[in-house]
This record gives sequence, structure tokens and C-alpha cells, in this order.
Amino acid sequence: MNLIVKQNPAVIQYSPMNEQALITDAQQGNLDAFNTLVLHYQDSVFNTALRILGDDDLAADAAQDAFISAFKSITSFRGGSFKAWLMRTVTNACYDELRRQKRRPTTPLEPDTDDGEEMDSPRWLADPNMTPDQKAEADEVEHAIQHCLDNLPLEFKTVVVMADIQGMDYAEVATSIRVPLGTIKSRLARARLRLRECLQSFEELLPASYRLGEGMNV
Amino acid sequence: MKRHDLELLSSYLDGQLNPSDISHLETRLKTDPQLASVLNDLRATRTLLRKLPSRKAPRNFTLTRKMVGQNPPLPRAYSLFRFATALATLLFVFSFGLNSFGRQLANPAPGFGMGGDGGDATSQESTELFSAEAPAAAEMPATEAPAEEPPAALVPSPTQMLTETANAARTAETPTSKIDGVSDAFDQSQPQVASEPQQGLSPLVSPTWQLALAIVALLSALLMVLMRQREASRWR
Repeated sequence: MNLIVKQNPAVIQYSPMNEQALITDAQQGNLDAFNTLVLHYQDSVFNTALRILGDDDLAADAAQDAFISAFKSITSFRGGSFKAWLMRTVTNACYDELRRQKRRPTTPLEPDTDDGEEMDSPRWLADPNMTPDQKAEADEVEHAIQHCLDNLPLEFKTVVVMADIQGMDYAEVATSIRVPLGTIKSRLARARLRLRECLQSFEELLPASYRLGEGMNV
Repeated sequence: MKRHDLELLSSYLDGQLNPSDISHLETRLKTDPQLASVLNDLRATRTLLRKLPSRKAPRNFTLTRKMVGQNPPLPRAYSLFRFATALATLLFVFSFGLNSFGRQLANPAPGFGMGGDGGDATSQESTELFSAEAPAAAEMPATEAPAEEPPAALVPSPTQMLTETANAARTAETPTSKIDGVSDAFDQSQPQVASEPQQGLSPLVSPTWQLALAIVALLSALLMVLMRQREASRWR
């Protein structure tokens, strides 16, 4: 049986200039146009889901669900920041996943080491270009930050992931999670404070370049 | 530290304060070392978060048409054939209904001995005519009744009937001729008065039309299926 799948030769390239045209095409049901947007935003969407959920597989599932949901409801996009609109979809997918987890708690399947213990930082996630020392350092920092993020209340975590990790401005974050700008400022300040307190407990684990000062006693 | 000061510092860090708030806060920062220290810590925390390595998506999240439940686009002719199929099927079914009930509605009470004229009479008139003629029929000799009542053109002579019946039964090819043959055979075995309603049951919609409607419906449906399959295979 011949199983050769024909690829569409016309690959649409993303650029900020043609984003609106791609969105308009996607709103008319053009899946290729939407997939161009997917390819551009998939890393941001996946990272947001990863930092909120703290699990690679769940984050991948949430990202996929978010894109499906985004395509189905793209006609509701009325302009503004497409990234903010997309982030709202992914945070909703993450909230759905967290609600599911609450109803049916599961044990994550971590790969085991040779000693039979679970690995905190799976080898396949490491950047092959890093030296072993850099890799270890990056893993420590990432682990510490993720641990502190996981201990934040969900509404704080969402704001800090969008503003500080994804680099979105306050207005975009406010649009994404549909809360007033003042609430965003307040949540972000308190989230940073809590993270600071949490990260202090990891200070000895953190490399010198990542260490924080001692002056914050709020 | 007050929560308001914390929010001010956080917003200052992100450049979200207006110029007057900025100058006021910067004056305070020069005179308040604790406030400056908190600002440094917030900045370090933010820097740490921004240094968090961005992970690459483990796979592409591009969507397939199946994922989003998209159906293949159908050509414009598809809707035309769909309409033709529906219309032909409807007319086909309607023609059967018309043949079965239409004649009865047109001739609600076919009277004995009325022949083709009964179709124009109302039921009351038919009943009256039946009542008026019944005694006359009773007075007539039994052998004369069949000869007088039906129109000569509609009822063949017994000899002719026998011949036609035999020929029709052997050589009938269409449903119409079969019906005629049966009708003739019935006429032969029954008194002539009973054969009048049978002649009134000839179909209003001819079988040829019914056959044509059936063919149109089937052909259109077949074309619709073929179009769908062709578009689906092309789309995949």
C-alpha cells in the first residue's frame, strides 16, 4: 500500500507583519494559516503550561487542548494582542487540567536511575550544548524555581508566569486573565515577595550568580 | 513594609508608575535603605525568573483536520444533487399516495351503473342516484342489466373480453397492461355492475413517471456519494 502523504508545498511564513492576515484566514477556517500561528507560539504556550502545571506531559496535553480550543473559538478574537488571547486559552486549559487532577489525583511516572530512584531532572530534557557543570547548575535553578512556583496560589502563579517568565506587559496579562490592572500589580508584587522568601531557602543550592540579597523582611 | 510600598516597588521595577510617583519613590529610596534593599531583592527575583531557560515544545502542536472536526469542502453541484434527490424521492412517494388515495377522493362513492360520470358527482348525489336507479335495476331482467348500464366503448363484448384477457395475461409487459388484464378477468367473472369501480382505479401518475422519479432519485444519490468520496480523498 502506498502510504506517501502529500505535503502542502505552499508553506506560510510567520512574521509580525502578516499575523493579522493569518488570524483573518484562520477565522475563515484556514487551518494552514492557523498552524503557522501555532508553530510561532507553541514554545510560549508550552512553557506557560509547563510552569503552571509543573509537568511536561500534562503541559503538552494542555498546550494541544489549548490550540484546538483556540482554533474552534478563533472567531471570538476581536483584535488586540493575539498572544494575550492565546495565553487565556492555555491558562483555561491548565485550570481544567488542575481541576481534573483534584478529582482524580495521579502519580507522575518519573524515569528511574540505576539505583531505582526517581530522577528529578530527566536526562532527555538537558540541552546537549551545555557542559555538565552548566547543566547541573541550570537544573538546580530550574528545580528551585519550579518548586517555589508550585507552592504559589494559582492566581499568583499565573500572573508571575505571564509577566516575569513570558515577559508580557501588565495590560496583556490583565486581558489574558480578565482581571483589572490594579489586581495584576498587586498579585505580581505579592507573588514576587513569596518567591523571594521561598528561594531564600534554596540559597545554598543556588550558584553565586543566582543568590539573592538578605534585605527583604516585609 | 506596607503592601502599598511593595506594589509601588514592583510597578517601579516594571516601569508602570507615572512620572510623579517615580520621582516621589526615588526620593524615598535615597533616604530609606530598607526600601532600596527590598527593591534590589525584587529585581534579583525577577532576573532569576527571566533567566529560567525556555523549554522547546516537545513536539509540534499543529492541528489536523480530524482534530478540529473539519469536513471536506463540497462542490456547489453537491447541493443541487441533494435537492434533486430529496425532491424526486418526495414526488415518488407522493405519486404512490396519489394513486392509492387520490382516486378515492375524486370518487368518494362510485355508484352502480354510473360509469365515468360518477366522478363528477358528490357523495350525496351518488347516493341519490344509487337509490333512484336501484329499483330500476331490480325491475330489469338480469340478463339485460350488463348490456344497458356501461357505456359501449368501455365494456367489450364477452367474446372480445375472453380473447383480450387471454392475450393480456400471456403477453402483458407493463404494469398497466397487467392491471388491465386483471381488470378484464375480473369483469369476466363478475356481473358488469361490479366492474365499474375497477375501471375508475387507473393510476393518476403513470408508472413511467414513477420509474423516472425513482431513477432520478437514485442517480442523484449515487452522484452525491461519489462526490463526497472524491472530495474526501482529494482533501486527505
